[in-house]
Amino acid sequence: MPKITIDGKTIDLPAGATILQAAQALGIYIPRYCYHPALSVSGTCRMCAVEVDKAPKLQIACATEIADGMIARTDTAAVKKARKDVLEFLLANHPVDCPICDQAGECSLQDYYMDYGLHKSRVAPEDKIQRSKHRAAGRYLVLDNERCILCTRCVRFCDEVTKTNELTVSGRSDASFIDIREGKSLDNDYSLNIAELCPVGAFTSRDFRFKQRVWFLKRIKSVCTGCAAGCNIEVHYNENTVYRLMPSPNPETNTWLCDRGRMTYKALQAGDRLRKAFVKKGSMEIEPAIRHAAHLLDEAARKTGPESVVVLGSPYLSIEDNLALAELAATSLKTSNLCLDFPREQGVKDGILINKDDAPDANGLKLLKARYAGLDQGALIELINSGRIKLIVAEARALSSLKEKLRELSNIETVILAVTKSDLDFESACVLPYAANFETEGHFVNYKGLLQKTTPSVAAPDGVKPLWTVLSKLSSCTGAPIRLEDAAELRERISEFIK
Amino acid sequence: MIEIKKVNNRPLNLLERIYVWEIFKGFLVTARHFFVNLFCPGKIITIQYPEITRPLEHAAKRRTRHRLKMRANGTPKCVACFLCATACPAFCIHIEAGEFTSSQVEKYPAVFDVDLSRCVMCGMCVEACPEDAIAMDTEVIPGGVLKREDMYLTRNKLLQNMPGDPSIKGAANRLA
Repeated sequence: MPKITIDGKTIDLPAGATILQAAQALGIYIPRYCYHPALSVSGTCRMCAVEVDKAPKLQIACATEIADGMIARTDTAAVKKARKDVLEFLLANHPVDCPICDQAGECSLQDYYMDYGLHKSRVAPEDKIQRSKHRAAGRYLVLDNERCILCTRCVRFCDEVTKTNELTVSGRSDASFIDIREGKSLDNDYSLNIAELCPVGAFTSRDFRFKQRVWFLKRIKSVCTGCAAGCNIEVHYNENTVYRLMPSPNPETNTWLCDRGRMTYKALQAGDRLRKAFVKKGSMEIEPAIRHAAHLLDEAARKTGPESVVVLGSPYLSIEDNLALAELAATSLKTSNLCLDFPREQGVKDGILINKDDAPDANGLKLLKARYAGLDQGALIELINSGRIKLIVAEARALSSLKEKLRELSNIETVILAVTKSDLDFESACVLPYAANFETEGHFVNYKGLLQKTTPSVAAPDGVKPLWTVLSKLSSCTGAPIRLEDAAELRERISEFIK
Repeated sequence: MIEIKKVNNRPLNLLERIYVWEIFKGFLVTARHFFVNLFCPGKIITIQYPEITRPLEHAAKRRTRHRLKMRANGTPKCVACFLCATACPAFCIHIEAGEFTSSQVEKYPAVFDVDLSRCVMCGMCVEACPEDAIAMDTEVIPGGVLKREDMYLTRNKLLQNMPGDPSIKGAANRLA
């Protein structure tokens, strides 16, 4: 294996590695704009130039493969001068409109200028070339050509990752600019990754636009629950509001994050977010609504026996919440009509990330099914359609997924658990709200069987509690509590599933 | 240089311990002020603030109530960059950004509130502003209001140009 020395530190790396990768392995930072570990090398920005012994001039670290005995230096006067000059070129026509740019605070132009540049501009502001600003580019992006440094990360992303080829560099030499190909629009399912890839403020997210300055944002790692892929994310939030979701690269799950996944936080602030319970379409405080739901359960069990009540698990809920549902059926209602069987087609849909299964926890549900058994889905549908069932307790989206298979539900009462009103497909006797995944901890098993945990970042609206708490209260009201009152009890009960 | 005043802590003498004479001396001081104020009102030190104010001297003029400057077309120079809110040690500035679709300057403050009851008049917001949009040169000293709401300045109350404005200082003015 070739041995390379950078700034006096030596490392062995397999042939084909570049100087930049070697430096990274040695913990030496080389500034870069166009280099991205997940994209091909283009070498357009020239920022990563380093001095290599026996080479006549500076070499770019991102594109120079290491050779045995190579000696490179990143701290010489020539390298420093090159970085400064490259920055001056990149900034020559830059509008320096940082006050109105969303990238400010996480912009590599700003960072590198402070680290390596600190030059005075030789181009007066009025002499700078003006280009199109705030041009709409697809559903989620805004393109500002003045700020662009032509690193072509966005072009390569569309060519290599999504393979949709929407972007191109138009024009020649210093008149070139990033353009959308004729007849195309930038609307692939991963377009927001471009805003994140862009090292400057040329592509910015329309959703995040002007909402918050990035230096106010707090970051916390969590898991996306938009589909069965289980992508790792970083939740950016401030003052109890989530502002955006970013991918947190994990070799087992994801490098990128799809647009739909990035928009999952919208449900938290949606206008139809349930903050109160609903009883027969009338809004009601949550506590009395839980008592009302318990009353419905008792009535049904008293009149027609516990076997006239059905409890559905849900592939959209965490293991904790499904456990509470299963316990509700077994302990409180003492009914054997529990269904944890939701067979779903899984697999990567588009060859990148998005899964065919839009439920995040179908495999977690299987773990619970192994323990609690319960009805198969076919048997459940037969049972419900037979008319012997008087009451269903279910999560909104799980019940909706059975919509086509179920006959008229009008003579069956339902207690539905939901986060937003738009999830509700059925008229319900009682709707109880619960805390969304950004507001509570929950375990999910992705399509590969990887167990992951969401982390709460913001607080739920007043009075809205995690689903397992709601079900625990409900069970207490029926007189046979499932005893899931605090996090410690919950942890003990789910420990067998999250080994 | 801090001056040091030495306090004489000697024990009180008989006259002082009797106390009556000392009280009488105190009354003399009060009486002197009473007659000076009565016959020479010009020498009264107290000012009937806020009805009467003293002219401000030198740098004191630059730390008075805030204002937001306007461009020649009447739009605020402020572009809602949040640097003043970031610099503010008292967290008294509340901004919400809005988007202009017609103007070349995309961003403007849809909401810009200064809570004067929290403000410590430090002037950091003025120093932080990259657009020369906020100033503290109105020569109005905040305070002396009857309602709490009067201490809460909204954007429209803050927008005010002074003689010499509008100036074209500030990065985004190139686009305006």
